[in-house]
Amino acid sequence: MLRKDLRLELRSGESTLALLALSMLVLVVLVFALDAGRVRSVDVAAGALWVALVFSGMLGANRALLAERDNGAIRGLLLSPLDPAMLYAAKLAAALIFMAVAEVGAVILMVLFFNLDFDASTARLAPILALGAIGFSALATLLSAITGRTRGGDMLLPILAVPIFVPALIAGVKASAAALAGAPLASMADWLRIMIAFDVLFVTAGYLLFEHVVGED
Amino acid sequence: MSAPVVETHRLAKTYGLAPVLREVDLRLLAGSGAFVVGGNGAGKSTLLRIIAGLEAPSDGRALVFGQDTRRLAARYRQRIGMMAHQSFLYPNLTARENLEFYAELYSVADPRASADLWLARVGLADFADTRVRAFSRGMEQRLSAARAMLAEPALLLLDEPFASLDHDGAEIIAALIRGAIERGASVIATAHAIPEIAGVEFAAFEISRGRLAERAHQEEVRRGGRLRSLLGR
Repeated sequence: MLRKDLRLELRSGESTLALLALSMLVLVVLVFALDAGRVRSVDVAAGALWVALVFSGMLGANRALLAERDNGAIRGLLLSPLDPAMLYAAKLAAALIFMAVAEVGAVILMVLFFNLDFDASTARLAPILALGAIGFSALATLLSAITGRTRGGDMLLPILAVPIFVPALIAGVKASAAALAGAPLASMADWLRIMIAFDVLFVTAGYLLFEHVVGED
Repeated sequence: MSAPVVETHRLAKTYGLAPVLREVDLRLLAGSGAFVVGGNGAGKSTLLRIIAGLEAPSDGRALVFGQDTRRLAARYRQRIGMMAHQSFLYPNLTARENLEFYAELYSVADPRASADLWLARVGLADFADTRVRAFSRGMEQRLSAARAMLAEPALLLLDEPFASLDHDGAEIIAALIRGAIERGASVIATAHAIPEIAGVEFAAFEISRGRLAERAHQEEVRRGGRLRSLLGR
């Protein structure tokens, strides 16, 4: 399932390019909209990075299930012996890979746009962003299975996903700002615990609930 | 007497306030075929989707292999093949890749060989490496038939299998349906009118305004009554 998704993506490149383009646009808008001189640039950079990641994550999750809506392929999958929980795991993995690619691109752009350095503080972003990507992909994949069945589902996904993601978003921004400011990972343990709890909650929820929301009736 | 492969009891389906199926009772034994005919919106596709477990009935129940279709376990879904209006195929994968993917989902031994075998059976061997998005509607229909049948399911649900097909394509699908019944599979197919297909015995039902009525049974078919063979038998 995941191999098929990656093959489709490698063939078209649509999702990866769209995610990277969206990340870049968000960062460009924010770098001009925010006056980085009046607040610490690492705080602004961390916020901008997470805005870019949330938007690209929504796009990635939507696209991971979009291919299954073409020609009603989702029905073919639901009719097959494939365990719906495995379908969720594959879609989550695909969304996670797309989001990870977008994150790498977004971090590079953030460093360039906000005049930061590629150093140990940038490397400390990796576990924070990984936790954020897992949590957001888990949430968005579950919700996109619901919104994909509705008219105007693309609009509905951010309305549902962003408010639910707020606890992990706050933790991610705080931890990222601390990491960029040079703080050790141990000093942001509380923020990371919140993100881990969010990840566990929504990966479990997705695994258990996906079969009930992905059907058509 | 063998247990029925498909059995529905007072099956009903309503979308909003509009009833689509009303008190449908249907029974299909192993190795037998049935055609359900009716006009647009008669409820044919809905009936097949409920039997496949893709939709839940509003009332009554549908049993496949003795199991309620609302909670069909994987081992029962493994034994159902469905060809619907939508092909369930991925436009950006080639014909072979599509069949290999579904063969893997159904744990078919040697997915590659199976894909090539079924491509040959539906006359698409020369298009194995062509992406489905480049296929005509009729070619996609034939590939969809191969996808539905490659795991050799015990129950085949075919929603208007001859739509969009030319004469050659219709002959290929007719031969595949006959082959499936000959190996003991059960087939329920829908059509707008009783098609010129046989070579095997089919019960014929008519669905109108959501109500199902048997119009011809296997004995009538055997006497050569209402169904004629497309295969020239």
